[in-house]
Amino acid sequence: MGLFRYTIFRLLQAIPVLIGISIITFALANLAPGDPVRLMLQGQEVDEELIRTIEARYGLDQPVHVRYWNYMTGLVQGDLGYSIHRRRPVADLMLERAGPTLLLVLSAYVFALATAIPLGVLAAKRRNKPADHVSRIVALVGVSTPSFWIGIMLIIVFAVQLGVLPSAGLVYPWQPPEAAGHSGYIEHWIESIRHLILPMIALGTLQMATLMRVERTQMIESLQQEYVTLARAYGVPERTILRKHAFRSAQLPIITIVGLNLSTALGGAVLIETVFAINGMGRLFIEAIQQLDYQLVMGITMVLGAIFVIGVVITDISYAYIDPRVTYGDRE
Amino acid sequence: MSSDPLLRVENLKTQFFTETGTVRAVDGISFEVYEGEIVGLVGESGAGKSVASMSLLRLVESPGEIVGGTIEYKGTTIFDLEEGPDGDLRKHPDMLSEAAMRERIRGREIAVIFQDPMESLNPVFTVGGQLREFIELNRDLSSSTAKAEAIRMLREVGIPDPEQRYEEYPHQFSGGMRQRVLIAMALACEPNLIIADEPTTALDVTVEGQILDLVDDLQERYDTSFIWVTHDMGVVAEICDRVNVMYLGEIVEQAPVDELFYETNHPYTKALLNSMPRPDRTVEELTPIEGVMPEAINPPSGCRFHPRCPDAREVCTRVHPEAREVDRADGHPHRAACVKHDVFDVGYDESVPLEDGADAKPSGGETEAERGSAAGGGHASTDGGESR
Ligand code: SF4
Repeated sequence: MGLFRYTIFRLLQAIPVLIGISIITFALANLAPGDPVRLMLQGQEVDEELIRTIEARYGLDQPVHVRYWNYMTGLVQGDLGYSIHRRRPVADLMLERAGPTLLLVLSAYVFALATAIPLGVLAAKRRNKPADHVSRIVALVGVSTPSFWIGIMLIIVFAVQLGVLPSAGLVYPWQPPEAAGHSGYIEHWIESIRHLILPMIALGTLQMATLMRVERTQMIESLQQEYVTLARAYGVPERTILRKHAFRSAQLPIITIVGLNLSTALGGAVLIETVFAINGMGRLFIEAIQQLDYQLVMGITMVLGAIFVIGVVITDISYAYIDPRVTYGDRE
Repeated sequence: MSSDPLLRVENLKTQFFTETGTVRAVDGISFEVYEGEIVGLVGESGAGKSVASMSLLRLVESPGEIVGGTIEYKGTTIFDLEEGPDGDLRKHPDMLSEAAMRERIRGREIAVIFQDPMESLNPVFTVGGQLREFIELNRDLSSSTAKAEAIRMLREVGIPDPEQRYEEYPHQFSGGMRQRVLIAMALACEPNLIIADEPTTALDVTVEGQILDLVDDLQERYDTSFIWVTHDMGVVAEICDRVNVMYLGEIVEQAPVDELFYETNHPYTKALLNSMPRPDRTVEELTPIEGVMPEAINPPSGCRFHPRCPDAREVCTRVHPEAREVDRADGHPHRAACVKHDVFDVGYDESVPLEDGADAKPSGGETEAERGSAAGGGHASTDGGESR
């Protein structure tokens, strides 16, 4: 199988998984207690006639398999449903909030990769020396400390005590500067970065710690390979060995971890958005749960599930592109 | 031989400092390699052959360390420990620095071929890319000239379609083809000496034969010297000019190949030869060597081979023989480390024979303990021959 066909094949394989996710989320939302129509009209005196009219309008009077079918046909067309509570399409609500979450998660990953890879390589090179011990302690602390707690500590130190960085909200670099009350782009972008630093570190620390451990182990392993000894025996400088010969094959598992941890990062974003008062998808999700807005909860779960599945598929595919040894499923 | 040797190794010692104790992997070996020669380094696995060959490039990895001896290559000092004024051992001022080793010796002057062609090539780079990189580095060629040279060498070692195979990854090559790539790699750097560490062990017999023929052929054309590390006397017979037989970190016999086979002077060599199939013998005559080689962490006292030696006598448990010249052939010494020979004169003939086989049990807890006490005693009393 060629690489292109493998890509198509993997994408097609994701479809049954996505259908599975949709069934589970749909079932959960429909089995949960509370009738959405009554919730929407809570506190008001209503007659049965009105409720039936509203139910008919949203198709809620149909049997469950018909409703699932309607929901699925909507999904395929990009319609994630309608929030009765907020009287707006779920997709619109999510789109509004997707930007900040994406910004947060991406920057957390950039931070994690930019720190974890050099530190992991350094730790492997200085194995069992002080630099290695320090990095292992940092990794251990990073893995075992909850991200929201790191967030709160960062706020206390840098926002409250030192007062050098803002503790709440984000400034969106894609907005015009005037909207945020800034006079020019330079100021606007500087403010964006300043607002991003603390939540980025809070969310990225766990990823950094995980990636650093993997990087260290992988580098140690690949430094012991015979081909590294061979490179040394042919006079290749140690620098080149670290950057090239040992490095390349050590990065494959990193790609996997990044792909698989996408869900952890998105989950972490829910908490971090709450701690730093960021209006992203995470907060939208929490609000939806608190308001028993099932359509919205269902929509967000579906999208997060899809992101996770697609993340895994992309990981697999990029692996196949990078590692020449990967064969694509069937005979050579 | 009149000319100076290409490589001279004297009393080389490499040890590994492990938690369970010091492993004397290479314990005072001396040998020379002259230009255009293939010199064998033979012994069972664990004898210290590979450690010895890595020591020559100063590539012994921690916890291992070269702790003594001299390695001289074409008059330059690769390694030399000398006694300082305060009695401490210190590195000789002429010894090459690590950077000089890297830039002047490794690859450029001395190249290696490893045992396992599957592990020796980096799976994530193309075969050609790896070849080109080493050629570029060791011959100061431009990238494009190095590529042309790499393709030429691939053709030279008998790889069909070299232009196309240049772009392929190691997993697309068979074991034999990869070993050819590694030979191409070694030769392409135009070194004067190639250390081949069991390069055919991982291959099947037919491919092994092809590779040996190839090396024989190329060796003549390029006039490169080889150190051929192997456990296989058959390979030695086929390819080597002179041979060093190693047992437990020491060279026990050293001779030109014909003398070694027909004028064998050490019981261990004899045992090795008797255990391998030869065209001049029938299979029934094969006798495996009794027992297993003890660990180098706790070698037996006296002659290290005595627990397995059919000729062992009481004196062998006390006296530690170093290799001495017992004969000469073709202008090369024939050395053997066995007290049977007259040059040792320690009373072998008068000594009582050790009970046959009594000491040659396979290693087990009990035997290990015995060995421990025996070795301890040996060191305390006359651990002759070598000064420690
Ligand atoms: S010294 Fe003794 S034990 Fe050692 S090889 Fe010679 S005869 Fe055998």
